[in-house]
Amino acid sequence: MNTQNQNGYMLLFRGNDWIKSLSPEEKQRVTDQWMAWFRRLTDEGKAVAGNPLEREGKIVSGKNRVVSDGPFAESKEAIGGYFLLDVASLDDAVAIARECPGLPYGVKVEVRPVAAECPVASELKKEAEFATV
Amino acid sequence: MLLYRSDEWYNRLSPEELQSLMDQNKAWIETLTAQGKAKPGRALERRGAFVSGKNGRFVTDGPFAESKEAIGGYLVLDVETLDEAIAIAQTIPGLAYGGSIEVRPIAEECPLDVRAREFAREEQLATV
Repeated sequence: MNTQNQNGYMLLFRGNDWIKSLSPEEKQRVTDQWMAWFRRLTDEGKAVAGNPLEREGKIVSGKNRVVSDGPFAESKEAIGGYFLLDVASLDDAVAIARECPGLPYGVKVEVRPVAAECPVASELKKEAEFATV
Repeated sequence: MLLYRSDEWYNRLSPEELQSLMDQNKAWIETLTAQGKAKPGRALERRGAFVSGKNGRFVTDGPFAESKEAIGGYLVLDVETLDEAIAIAQTIPGLAYGGSIEVRPIAEECPLDVRAREFAREEQLATV
């Protein structure tokens, strides 16, 4: 699974409801751990950006561009924040994801390679290559 | 932050449709960038891993490309209000073909910090 990628990786932290089950002390501890983790990754040059997202937002969809509420704060799949990593392989990114302080409380980390270009552009190139054969 | 959720709908387009959409996308992002509203944004590859469980002991493949909920990319916007971000999301050319855009405010601080502070305040009130 050691795929190399020049464009870096994105960690998406999923799960919004786990915070509620913690005691104040646990909350404080996880917050401190999370901040220290991000600071260390930044110092090591491995994290280039990261932000928590507010527990609210909207979804825009369809031809008519309808606006609806979401995502729902209690969703296990809702995204609570992200890190952008400057590491060379999926294995490196997964190793970092495994250090996430939220994991024992039910957080799920999605690890995704950042693409070199828009997939619509790659698709177009593929079709062009095929046409010239 | 705009999170673009969709399956690989672009595989169902004709070469002409693809080209036209590419041109629209290019113009769209150029306009936003010229207005100083678009900050970094990237597409994500349709593969990756999920890490979960204590000490990250579960590592599974995902997300699945055919999922309509899978995140295909993101764009950070430098705008003041949620309404403005929604208005921009509504102008995304690819929306006509499928997918949905999740519009999320970037938090000032971690929600864990906010919760911890609320607890501290409650405790303070309890001791008064």
